Amino acid sequence: MSSNPEQISKQELFLPDFCAIPVVFVIVLVAELLAFVLAIAPISGQQFQWEDLGLISLFIQWIALTGTAVLCIMRKWLCRFSDKMAGLLSYALLILVTLILSEAAFWLARYTGVFAVLSDNWHLDFLIRNMAISMIVSAIALRYLYIQHQWKLKIQSESRARLDALQARIRPHFLFNSMNVIASLTRDKPALAEEAIEDLSDLFRVTLKEDSGQTTLQEEFDLGKRYLRLEKLRLGDRLNIEWNTANVPVDIKIPSLTIQPLLENAIYHGIETLPEGGTIRVNASTRDDTLMLEISNPLNTSQSNKINNKGNEIAVANVRERLQVFYKGRADLDVEDKGQTYVVILHIPTTSS
Amino acid sequence: MRILIADDENLARDRLRSMVESLGEEVCGEAGNGAEVLTVCAEQMPDVVLLDIRMPGMDGLEAAQHLAQLDDPPAVIFTTAYDEHALSAFETNAIDYLLKPVRKERLQQALEKAVKLNRVQINAIRKTEDNQGRTHISVNTQGKLQLIPVDEVFYFAADQKYVTVRYKDGEQIITETLKTLEDEFKDHFIRIHRNALVASEYIRGMEKDNEGHVYIVLKDIDEKLEVSKRHVADVKEFIKGK
Repeated sequence: MSSNPEQISKQELFLPDFCAIPVVFVIVLVAELLAFVLAIAPISGQQFQWEDLGLISLFIQWIALTGTAVLCIMRKWLCRFSDKMAGLLSYALLILVTLILSEAAFWLARYTGVFAVLSDNWHLDFLIRNMAISMIVSAIALRYLYIQHQWKLKIQSESRARLDALQARIRPHFLFNSMNVIASLTRDKPALAEEAIEDLSDLFRVTLKEDSGQTTLQEEFDLGKRYLRLEKLRLGDRLNIEWNTANVPVDIKIPSLTIQPLLENAIYHGIETLPEGGTIRVNASTRDDTLMLEISNPLNTSQSNKINNKGNEIAVANVRERLQVFYKGRADLDVEDKGQTYVVILHIPTTSS
Repeated sequence: MRILIADDENLARDRLRSMVESLGEEVCGEAGNGAEVLTVCAEQMPDVVLLDIRMPGMDGLEAAQHLAQLDDPPAVIFTTAYDEHALSAFETNAIDYLLKPVRKERLQQALEKAVKLNRVQINAIRKTEDNQGRTHISVNTQGKLQLIPVDEVFYFAADQKYVTVRYKDGEQIITETLKTLEDEFKDHFIRIHRNALVASEYIRGMEKDNEGHVYIVLKDIDEKLEVSKRHVADVKEFIKGK
């Protein structure tokens, strides 16, 4: 299915389908309520009369249903415009319908003699009043429809965003592959299976935490190692790990889930795409008051695998954003894409500001 | 029934193997990526291939595409841990697949009704995946598959009936159309003539002869290809943009 912008805007026009029975029903109901309000309003000093209600209802329903029919027929055409333009056009159409029908009603009433009192002086007055009512009611109705539509869109996008965020934290691909590893180990190597379940639980406990606040560098290292242990089970000889993080202050505070997502990237976009696998290197060192952490992985350079790199940037952007919030600009994340290797370098202050 | 298991993970293969064997079927080989699948298939001629979709190098979908070129291709059952897009495409094209971790009953069921896929089905799924086309072109020469890496291809040229693929080690005739090749490899190949598609990587430059004909000069091989008038502007712009 193609998804050109025109088609999308067609689906998302704020006006509902006026041909749909439930919509028509609501319009009839609202029109009747309006007729009722007009009939019982104590304006003319007269007593409430059922005949008035009857005539007003007839007239208002006539306008309401004609207006609905016009919008129903014109919907396809209206869809071509922006929300604002479509709203204005529908507004104009509704007022035009009111004008034409008022005029028709006037002449009809005059020739059938329903209202003996209808005189020519009253003609203009009748039209203006009807137009004014139509302008107010149509404006309220269209505004209501617009707001309701916006609200619906907001709910949709919020739930979509929540799902996206969740999937970004737990890559389903990783989850099910790990489950498969565990299923495979259970019979022959129950001890390894047990360990894998423990590692997976730890990982999920951290990723599922509602607010992923701060942790220590040591805990981040541990989590990263647990994650890599799981991947090592899965990838076997294809995954080699070089982990050099001795001699750095491991008790400093850092935002949680800074390192593991980068390791996951190194696997997903690097090691996994290489038939022979490769080595992930994690190096940490300190200079002055800055911790430098470097994570590198080999890349598959053949053209068919380049597509995989797209997702890379999302995770990197996420981590960068988290660092920005946590250190307020005192930390940074650089990426070096050297073709054959991909390196992420973090600079993190070891002293609190 | 002789079964080939293809998955890039050892443990995943082990688990499938023990399941297949417990169902009383024979595992005739294992493969860790798409290219290996094709080699082992040629040696073992399995009846069924259990084919993981996500494998490094050549993935499962591409391997299936090449397998369908064989005179007597094996039946294919795809396996995957998670693949939102591919799976909906499988369903619309009535292709069976197994979700990992695979259940034994489900495996048995799939093996019982395993069928050969046709090229139409596989091409349909490949299209929905937003990848950049195959890594190899396959040629069926006397019942055997020969694979030509796409990044070794200089150009595709069409004459009346066939398309010739000119690559590092020679040339071969294939049964695909230039149009489908152009669609599939549009990021790496450029159309220079109604009958020719050239790898952008191997274009060295353009040349004009005395009569006003324009030619593409290629890297690595001493061949010139004519650029038709209709394509001159596009090709020029492309070379400038490189």
